[in-house]
Parts: sequence; structure tokens; C-alpha cells
Amino acid sequence: MTKPAPRGSPLVVSDAPSDSSVVAQVLDGDAEAFGIIIRRYEPGLLRFAARMLGSADAAADAVAESLVRAYRHLAQCRDPEHLKSWLYRITGNRCRSHIGRRHMSDIALDDAPPLADPVDTWAVLERSEQVALVERALAQLQPEKREAFVLKHVEGLSYEEMADVTGARIPTLKMRVHRAREALLLALKELV
Amino acid sequence: MTLLLLLLLQSPHARLEGRVPTAALPGLDSLIEQAVAESLPTEPLVQKALEGGAKGIPVPRLVNGVRHGLVQLRDARAIVSRATPGRASLDGDVAAVAAALARGLDPGLIERLLSAAPPPEPSPGEPPGPVLHAAADLVAHGFPADSAAELLRAAQRQGLHGTRLLDVAVAASHELQREGGRTPVEALARVRAMLPNVPVASPPHPRTVTRRPGRGS
Amino acid sequence: MTVIDPRVQEALDGERDPATLPPELREDYARLTGAAALLSAAPATSVADRVMAQIREIRREAPAPRPPNWLLRPVTFRLRPVWTLAVAAAVAAVVFLPFREAAKPGAEEGVAQFVGHFPGARSVEVVGSFNDWQRGALALRDDDNDGIWHGAVVLPAGQHEYMFVVDGERWVSDPLAGRYVDDGFGAGQQNALLIVRP
Repeated sequence: MTKPAPRGSPLVVSDAPSDSSVVAQVLDGDAEAFGIIIRRYEPGLLRFAARMLGSADAAADAVAESLVRAYRHLAQCRDPEHLKSWLYRITGNRCRSHIGRRHMSDIALDDAPPLADPVDTWAVLERSEQVALVERALAQLQPEKREAFVLKHVEGLSYEEMADVTGARIPTLKMRVHRAREALLLALKELV
Repeated sequence: MTLLLLLLLQSPHARLEGRVPTAALPGLDSLIEQAVAESLPTEPLVQKALEGGAKGIPVPRLVNGVRHGLVQLRDARAIVSRATPGRASLDGDVAAVAAALARGLDPGLIERLLSAAPPPEPSPGEPPGPVLHAAADLVAHGFPADSAAELLRAAQRQGLHGTRLLDVAVAASHELQREGGRTPVEALARVRAMLPNVPVASPPHPRTVTRRPGRGS
Repeated sequence: MTVIDPRVQEALDGERDPATLPPELREDYARLTGAAALLSAAPATSVADRVMAQIREIRREAPAPRPPNWLLRPVTFRLRPVWTLAVAAAVAAVVFLPFREAAKPGAEEGVAQFVGHFPGARSVEVVGSFNDWQRGALALRDDDNDGIWHGAVVLPAGQHEYMFVVDGERWVSDPLAGRYVDDGFGAGQQNALLIVRP
């Protein structure tokens, strides 16, 4: 018999398998189980890669490559409890390789919707126009700062998880996030 | 088939277990995981770890040796990226460049060799290993690096590729020893004059063995 | 560069209640959190089908073994009990195949010959990257006891590193190799470098 849920909190019933059990399943030979990992993490990875690369198509390529690589080397994921960090780490590295091979600004210009005419206030912009402005502002950040802001504020990773993903120390990451916020705010103020 | 799959799908960790000291495994796992995350080839690191285990290298030096290998792979990938911009770095190319760095070849020379203009009939995707080993052979024999690179580029322009470039290096070292000894400049000039008809080096290096007379021949 | 007030940074780091920010700082806080919210839209695309297709392809194309690496390399692996007897017999037949009976080289293979002068040695073996640095896999022979140890083996074309191990304990660089590379373990030991041509 289940206990009644505490007042004010939803009754949460989850039978979704843990990352550890899915990884064990895949390593045991059930390749189709990797689909669970894909469905669980691709939205965040695609969003992360799109913000890094400024292009949905480039993001799809980078994430697909990363997930295939993760499958090939799944046995090397030392701690399946940290599968998420591991996947973001592979994807982050892929994005850096893509950035190194291409000019970010060209991609952003090709894929971003047209900018609205300059306006005095943010509030009168349509949501899609606001998104375009923010994307352009983000694209102006150096890749390290862009990554730090996206991981922290878009993907919601903790500083510990970010350290796992980037290999950087937490104080370094905090500084990057702080600088990223300043740079983004400046870019936003210049665009609107 | 099950046996083949069992053997071939061994993870790096499984291959190292029992072959390296247990105390080394966490450090080695971490380094290999970093290589995975950075899209670097892992086999050179696994090989280095197995080598260290076989040689009985103490744990700290064993782990450091593998860490040094990871650094070389990163450097190698950076060189490949600079030399061939706009193309994805293949694992084989990165490993070949790392091997060249391990042989002491100058990174700038490696980059120049990789980005040299393609020969008249380019073969896309030609592995860089042979030209890098040929360059390392020439440098090891005392030829100036720039001259070595120039000779190899000349050989490529005349249609020599792959292991034939190793023949160019062998020919140059032979010319160095002829007639009481030649200068490197003379030796290189003679080989350049032979191109593209440098002799094939004797495969597979059957070495002359001197046997004592009357012993079992 | 716009400098953000440390109180705004604290609020964004979750270390301060944003409601305690003075009015003049709330716009910066709102603008940055608003930007993050706008960037959080879920992507429209999915790569699931594409990735699973590649994974199925990987499983179909599991590579064939390349003799003699696989043949020479004693391997350990865990077997489920029901497989043990049948598989153990197969492994025994394969692992103990003498290297000198290796097949002729294939298209991407070549013959490597090893020769070493070790008078008085009781055993000489070759240990290297082509046999995963496994001891006991590639023994040289000195049939006429003249101190010249030799052997030949088919190897995949390409680069291989190796050393001789004399009498089971002394690691020696092949003096006839012609190419060497530092082993990277800090003691200056040199591996011989062999390039096998197809």
C-alpha cells in the first residue's frame, strides 16, 4: 500500500531505469537499450550544442557524433552515475573541434532569423525576435565563456558537474560564468 | 563467432586488468576516459599501459608515461588540425603524428609535411605515417630537417607515396656512407637525381648473420 | 566591459535571494535570467534514428581478427559456465599455434624477421605492441646453439614497437633495428621501431 503524498507535493512514481542499469544493459549486449540514453539526453545535448555552434544542423551533427562515440566507448564511462556529465563532456569537446574548424559568426548569420529593427525597449519585441537577439549576443562571447554560461544557466549544471564536463577547476568556472554574464549583458545592451 | 566477439569487444579496462598493477588502474582509467571524451584515439594509451605493466614499471612512472602519451596525442591533433584545416582529424593520422613526435621530429616540420602541396595525382586520405617516419629516419641520420622535408616533397611530386618514401630515406642514408663518406648535401643531391627511381629497400630487412665456420651449416 | 554588481552575481549563483536585490540591480538580474529562459527552448530536431542506425551498423560490422596478433595473444576473459568447456577447447587450439607456422601474409600484412646475438642466453623472446606486450608469445630460436637467435612472423603492415627479453628478465633494445623511440617511462629505455611493409 502506498503512503499518501505529503501535502503540496506531487505523487511521483517513476519506473524509468537508472542510467547505471541502462549502461549495464547496453554493455551486456542490448544495443537497443542505448535508445533510452539517447531519448533521455539528446534534448539537452542538442540545445547545448546549438548554443555553442549557432546552428541546429551543426548541433545535430556534433551530437550524433558524440552519441555514437559514447556508445563505442561506453565501457570506458567509469561511473555510470555521472553519465550525464560524461555525455556533455564528449559533446563539448566535439563542439570545440567544430568551432576550431569553422567561423562561428558565419554560421550564426546563416541560421539566425532576421534581426528586428533597433527598438528602444525589449518588451515590444516578439518572442522570436527576443530569441534571435539573445542568440546573437551569445554568439559574440568567446567559446569558453559561451560554454560556461550555457552549461550553468541553460543546462542547469552545478559547478561540480561543470568541472566534470570541462575539466576546469570550480573557481575557474565561477570566474568564467561571471565574465560570461558581464559580456552577455553588454552584448544585449548594445543590441537593444 | 561468440569467441571472436568476446575477445574483440574487451574494453580497455578489461585489457589492463591483471596486466598492470591494481594501484595504477584508477589513474589509467581516468586518462583513457579523457581520451575518449576528447575524441582522441585510445589504443596508443592502452598499448603504453600494457608495455609499462610488462616491463614492471613502478606505478607513478607508468601512469606518467601514459599521461605523456595523452599529451602527445593532444599535440598531435592540434598539428593535424592546423595542417589540414576544415577536415576532421582521423584517429590514424593523430596516432601517426604522435608517433612522429615520440621520435623527436620537430612539430613545425611535421606540420609542413602534412600540409605540403599534393602531388600531381593526389590520393585523398593517404596516411601520413610513412612520410613522417621517412623524415624521422633522415633526421636521425643527421640530415638537416628542412633539407629532408624538401627531398620528401620532391619525391611526392614525382609520384612516390607511402612506403616508397621510406626507400628514399634508406637511399639517402646509403649515399651518406658510400665512397668513404659523403656530406649530407651531396647525399641528398644524389638521391634527388635518382627520383623517382630510388631502389626498393630489401624487404623484410633480412640481416646478414655471420655463422662460425663448421657449426651446424 | 560591463561590471555586474557582486550582489547580482550572488543572486545568479543562488547564494542570495533575488528579492533582496535593490531595485536598480533587478533589471540586470532579470535580463540575464530572461536570456537564459529564452535559450532554454527545446530543439525541434532529433538525432535518435540516425544514431541508432549507426549503432546497428557498428554491430553488423564487428571487425574480423587480424592474424597473428589475435592468434599469438593469450587473452583472459570471463565465460558463462555453460560455454566454458566448448570455448576453452577452441581457445586452447588457437592460443598455442606456434608463430613459425603462421600463414602467408595477406594484403595488408608483411613478414617481420628478428635476429639477435645473445651467446649463452637460455631464452630470447620478442615482446611488443604486436602482441600487446604479452610475455611468452613470441619466442626466438637458436637451433644450432651459436648464440644467434632468430624468428619470423607475419604482422599487420605499419608501425610496431618491441624489445627483446633475454632469459626472462633482461629487456634489451634490438641493436640491429635502426629505428628507436624512447619508451616514455623516464629511464631512457629505447624501444625498437619496426615498420612492416605489405
